[in-house]
Amino acid sequence: MSQDLEEILKQSIDKISQSSTDQELENIRVELLGRNGLINKLFSDIKDVPAENRKQYGADLNRLKQELESSIENQSNSVRANHDSPPPVLQKQNLFELPKLGHLHPLTQTERQLNALFKKLGFSIYNSPEIVTDEFNFERLNVPKNHPARDMQDSIYIKEPDYLLRTQTSTIESYLLKTKSKELPIRAAFPGSVFRNEKVNRSNHFVFHQYQAVVVDKGLTMKDLIGTMDLMFKTLYGPDIVVRYRCKYYPEVEPGVGPDMQCFNCHGVGCPLCKYAGWIEMGGSGMIHPKVLQAAEIDTNIWSGFAFGMGLDRWTMAQKNIKDIRTLMGSNLAYKPNEL
Amino acid sequence: MKLIYSQLQKLLPSLNVEPQKLRDDLTMIGHFTNFFEEIEGEIVFDLDIKVNRGDCLGYYGLAKDLSVYYNIPLKKIESPLFQGEGGAKHLGVLPIQVSTDKVKRVMAIKISEINNTESPDWLKKFIKCHGNNPINTIVDLTNYIMFLYGIPNHAFDTAKSTDNLIWQINPSYKEFISLDGTKLELNSNILMINNLKKPLSLSFWGGEACAIDINTKEIIIEMAVYDQATIRQNSRQLKSVTEAATRLEKLLDSELIPTAFSHLIDLILKNVGGQISSEVFDYYPQKVSLPQIKFNYNKPSQVSGIEISKDFCVSCLTRLDCQIQDDLITPPSIRPDINIEADLVEEVVRFYGYQNIPTNEPVTSKDVPDITPKEIYLIDQLKDKLVDLGYDEILTWPLVSSSVDSDTVITTQNSINTESIYLRQSLIPALKQQLDQYQRLKLNATQFFEIGKIFFQINNEYIEKNSLGIYNSDINALRQDALQCVSNSNLENMVFDGNFVEIILDNLSKPNIYTPKTTDYNAYELTSQIITLDANVVFDKMQDSEKLIKDYSQKIGKNNLWQLVISDIFSDPKTSKFRYTFKASYFNLDDKTAKEIHASVFELK
Ligand SMILES: [Zn+2]
Repeated sequence: MSQDLEEILKQSIDKISQSSTDQELENIRVELLGRNGLINKLFSDIKDVPAENRKQYGADLNRLKQELESSIENQSNSVRANHDSPPPVLQKQNLFELPKLGHLHPLTQTERQLNALFKKLGFSIYNSPEIVTDEFNFERLNVPKNHPARDMQDSIYIKEPDYLLRTQTSTIESYLLKTKSKELPIRAAFPGSVFRNEKVNRSNHFVFHQYQAVVVDKGLTMKDLIGTMDLMFKTLYGPDIVVRYRCKYYPEVEPGVGPDMQCFNCHGVGCPLCKYAGWIEMGGSGMIHPKVLQAAEIDTNIWSGFAFGMGLDRWTMAQKNIKDIRTLMGSNLAYKPNEL
Repeated sequence: MKLIYSQLQKLLPSLNVEPQKLRDDLTMIGHFTNFFEEIEGEIVFDLDIKVNRGDCLGYYGLAKDLSVYYNIPLKKIESPLFQGEGGAKHLGVLPIQVSTDKVKRVMAIKISEINNTESPDWLKKFIKCHGNNPINTIVDLTNYIMFLYGIPNHAFDTAKSTDNLIWQINPSYKEFISLDGTKLELNSNILMINNLKKPLSLSFWGGEACAIDINTKEIIIEMAVYDQATIRQNSRQLKSVTEAATRLEKLLDSELIPTAFSHLIDLILKNVGGQISSEVFDYYPQKVSLPQIKFNYNKPSQVSGIEISKDFCVSCLTRLDCQIQDDLITPPSIRPDINIEADLVEEVVRFYGYQNIPTNEPVTSKDVPDITPKEIYLIDQLKDKLVDLGYDEILTWPLVSSSVDSDTVITTQNSINTESIYLRQSLIPALKQQLDQYQRLKLNATQFFEIGKIFFQINNEYIEKNSLGIYNSDINALRQDALQCVSNSNLENMVFDGNFVEIILDNLSKPNIYTPKTTDYNAYELTSQIITLDANVVFDKMQDSEKLIKDYSQKIGKNNLWQLVISDIFSDPKTSKFRYTFKASYFNLDDKTAKEIHASVFELK
């Protein structure tokens, strides 16, 4: 128990032991344990205690409360004994409970972990609407009508064919490029929920979460892209992770780069976990396609850019040992009340 | 796409790498290879081909890529050109009509007096390795050629089809029966091959009406490339994806048709005999025009960040069969995906090898103006504030089954199911559902919140607002905490509903900057109800409650214990003993196991 609390305990017990009537004792009880009493005030101060000390502080307060209660009880016995009243059977609700702690959603934690990394590198955090036009979700990302890449994304439409729910965080990129095209260079990262017309079950959801980072600057290279992405993966998964960067196609980038994590189970040989590929796909990235920059009226003779994105749901589920993707969106997600 | 290693080696005779290395190399240059397996004694790879690489839906295109990557020769395919057949010019002209502009090129020819047979063993094996069932020699050869070159083709039994083939958009046929007997209802924009009287074939699926069988004596074979968007639409509309459709819906090379077509004719004549009995029909209204791309040889180095020499660029582009005139590059027709300088840069870099780019040189920190929207700071700040006050953050579905205000609700046109069709207008209904769910789980949830978008349609405009919804089982605490959140801002933004409150964040004052906390919190997936059990334990003297909780929690174990509370302490003046009552909550355990653990930890009888 902290010195302050020890001191409060000592002084209060002195006061209690000096009281000689029921009334006096009751006054002290209200002062200490009443609704607006000292103990409740100390409990409400818990918000100013650093998170890591909060558990200890709460426990100390509960002990203090309990000791004061039993001290008052004992004193009451002796006061009554002195008055020759019959000894009552003592029963009291003396609840001892650790303080209720609050929790951030696992996805928020993952997002913040990544935001913190990118803020250190000078990135802003960005967002844009979830109801979007075909122009921002597809056209500006070099996916014209009838492009086969549209087949890979089954959209949820608000008003076909113009309005839909964004299907990818690249859509935020197209807003960003359009809005900030005259304020270059840009460094921005954005977590976002995205929507696809998928049946909801244990492993698929119509809403899932992606994280994307975009840089537009002079003289950017694939080396910058791959190095930055690698830093992100090492931040999330630890320094021992092995990631390869391979050629991959996305219409909004060129050259396209696909990061794969070496399967931690078979170390690249191939096993049922990685479907015998030896590697697990981690997301997509590349140098921003010149057509995408041009759509935002950015001069590709001066500026270039890179972008990378990854899904957050699987990683977050693995972190918290969540097996059912539906758990992330409400339903069976819960937090132990007394555990951080 | 399946790829038989030994078949690939026929095109690349000097290819000799371990299958696992080939799997990884194919992937590195852009053809993600899932695995390889043994089928019919052959090593067979399974690849995902990029949507812009129709050429790689055939052995030929993939072999071309590998020949560039490994710098090994690609064997030229020797097929005697059918035009050279003596006397072919004197044969009859096929009465074929093409009455749609969706056909880019079609070649056709008639072969008579054939003796169709069961396929030879090598062909059967090939077809099986590709996951299909062998049918007969002619049908299997058409598929063989499709897999080899990536260009679908088709044989018609002229006894059933006649010679009068017409390529047209569906004139008025209502129904089509495919080779395997599937009945499809047609609409008006389907590209078809018919005769004057009946439907014969779709562009991507042959029909039952003129199917080749073992008694077929005379055939017309055709090979065509179409407008890929039309094929994609047709295939989606008819919900039919065939091997042919997956190829025809991509950009294919019309210039490759003569090679592939003559190879097919050659194989048919060799395997089932017969003789050519018509001139070659070749409809090719608009010859492919190849782009001439201005190329800066420094660009691959500038883009990749590593030194790639001009010599390497030239050698790589040459191996790709590009025509090079100083800095003007013309890609080969088999690569319609190459159109601009960036496409050439990607080719050079991928063949140079992404693995040569260092992975440990991220961008360094740079002072760039902060463009973070202030509402992101507000949201971060509110989340931290609420967590400090003991609230748990949850997320719920943005699609809901009922509207709050039917005048402004936004309805989705194709939702994931028939119930959840509206975009939510309030967070509270979903928070109520979450509370119900917690109660079903027998979880005593006292405080939780969500921050998310809510949606409205006003004057034909779509409006999104950031909203905060809070639940607290203690209504007074809820009021206090909600006031803390709005910190003296406009209270009109706050709507109470029992133990819930919703606060629209857009009108609150926002911090200029905020650094969110990055504490790590545990979270659990509950797979069954929480089980709460009581236990009384008697001690000779007063105990340290915190220590008791700690000790018993440890005995129960983190994986089983949800929460432990001392709900009562009874001191009996007669015996001067103390009786402690514990409430222990267990999670993700069945009743029996929970009771066993409980009895053993608290030493109950
Ligand atoms: Zn593995």
